[in-house]
Amino acid sequence: MSGRRPVIGPGSILRLPSARIAVGVLAVIAILAAFGSTLAPQNPLAINANALFQGPSAHHLLGTDYLGRDVLSRLMAGTRLSVLTALEAVGIGLVLGAIPGIATVFMGRSFDFTANRVSDALMTFPSIFFVVAVTAALGNGLVQAMIPVGILLAPAFFRVTRAATLEHARAQYVEAAELLGASKLHVIRVHVLRKVLPNIMVTTAAMTAAALLTVSFLTFLGIGVQPPTPTWGGILSSDLDYLSQAPWAPFIPGALIAVTVGALNALADAVRDRSGAGTLVASPILPTDLSLELADGDRQSRSIA
Amino acid sequence: MTVITLTRGGTADAAGAPPPRRRRGLRVRVALARIGGGLAVLVPIVFLSSFITYCLGALSNSNPAATILGQDAATPAAVARLDQALGLDQSLIVQYWNWLVQALHGNLGRSYFTQIPVSQSISQRLPVDLSIAILAVILAIVIGGTAGTVAAIRRGGWFDRGVTAVCSVVSTLPAFVVGIILVVLFAVSVHAFPANGYVGPSAGTGPWLSHIFLPSLALSLQVASDIARQLRTSLVQVLDQNYITGAKVRGLPYRRILVRHALRNAAGPALVTLGYDFPQMLAGAVAAEAVFSLPGLGQLLLESAETRDIPVVQGLLLVISTFVIVVNLVINTTLNWLYRTDDGMSA
Repeated sequence: MSGRRPVIGPGSILRLPSARIAVGVLAVIAILAAFGSTLAPQNPLAINANALFQGPSAHHLLGTDYLGRDVLSRLMAGTRLSVLTALEAVGIGLVLGAIPGIATVFMGRSFDFTANRVSDALMTFPSIFFVVAVTAALGNGLVQAMIPVGILLAPAFFRVTRAATLEHARAQYVEAAELLGASKLHVIRVHVLRKVLPNIMVTTAAMTAAALLTVSFLTFLGIGVQPPTPTWGGILSSDLDYLSQAPWAPFIPGALIAVTVGALNALADAVRDRSGAGTLVASPILPTDLSLELADGDRQSRSIA
Repeated sequence: MTVITLTRGGTADAAGAPPPRRRRGLRVRVALARIGGGLAVLVPIVFLSSFITYCLGALSNSNPAATILGQDAATPAAVARLDQALGLDQSLIVQYWNWLVQALHGNLGRSYFTQIPVSQSISQRLPVDLSIAILAVILAIVIGGTAGTVAAIRRGGWFDRGVTAVCSVVSTLPAFVVGIILVVLFAVSVHAFPANGYVGPSAGTGPWLSHIFLPSLALSLQVASDIARQLRTSLVQVLDQNYITGAKVRGLPYRRILVRHALRNAAGPALVTLGYDFPQMLAGAVAAEAVFSLPGLGQLLLESAETRDIPVVQGLLLVISTFVIVVNLVINTTLNWLYRTDDGMSA
């Protein structure tokens, strides 16, 4: 992989068919997140005791749940909360991870050591244990729960930006700029940030998928939301209680989550392919003398759940 | 796909140059320096993660003494007395140090509500998660290892493409969705496995395995797909190396070449993936517990979070992060053993 990386635009990414499909899917999700509750064909909270566990029909395109509520409307109305909370977590992770990731290269060895150990320590916490522990301390709300999710996403951003920054900060043109008297801030802004951006984009897409899975899992466990409010994970959870009446029901929200996550992964892959960025160096959590560089495409968003 | 590089820090020398002969004293010094370097990193991680764990309790705005005393008895004087008894009037660092020293002696404090020792309720639940996690790791290695190896050998064939396709689907499915699918397929439609509950190994190996098999499978699939992808990529590269061709030319049996020469060198990245995924696997265990109604650590965590039982939450987080560190130490040791050098010094 050469040191020179073109700064990529949306046009070159969209040339890939997989990216077009992914962007299409994500656009639909974005529309649902923005207008889902207004577009919903029926009231997502309306209970109908005469239409429990119905299969798909013209009136209820995706059937009804255990209270006779329209599943399609509930999914559409639940999109906003699921998507926005995932984005909140990614935003927190991006700020807490990427900024120290770049800074650590320019701030000396003791800062680098400390930042790395904090990142390592955070990686020893399985997400759900950490998030639930934080909600135990701070109170049970989905927005509060997203802060620890974001904190746990930060090490991924940190490792990626640090590795990419290290690569560029040692380039000859950076040395030349420094010799010409450029300040550290100028070097970071002009030479480093633009080159690291594709890596951050890939990680952002992958981490959004991971955050979405975590959000679904939290709402599945009933953390942060009160029952009538529809969320993707919450719908799955109530479906689980009525498996014997409607064994097919969990597949609908499950598929919606999977398609969204798949689209985000495909987008991350496309940006990676087009920019040559995103080799996430997954060194072991604990120190070893061996440094292994994992293949591309394998440090994809995984379910944090 | 990028090239997988495997470099050995410290002993990296010019390509082809024979390593210098080391004297015995130097060898011991190098080994000690490595252990020291490792500890210099490991010790801060252990302290930091336990400190973060303890601070979560301090962040809480709950008033433990008032909670324990109950509303009627919580006079300011009584609260102050109990705070002193619990050590809550001391500075955060002192509290943390006392807590850590006690924890190292196996004492994690008592629940605010039930007064049951935290270590006791954790050790009651631990076998459930230990069984699921160990079986899940075994399943992930067996399924992922087999799929990755066969895909690499039959590169470009239908099995290879099938593995790639299945892996990309599985990586979009969280453990709790996989768990639900498994329940629907194997427990509700076909009554092949019990849908919920846990039976200890004392009730017989058969019932025990049948109760933990589906949850473990749900946990293992995502890790298995990661291992398969990683192993396939690195094995394909190793199989193209000259020494593999050399071994074939020498007429060694293919099975021996694959196991002794190729897999040994290709296993590293897959093992690192396993270590990386392990925390998420434990998080998935919470999902599996919820789906299969198992009385494990995750259920204990959710119950104690609801009542804000801080000592239980802290104890659980400490035990879990220690578990992650231990598993990663084991993986690192295995890596060092796999890539040991001929002079007997492990890297």
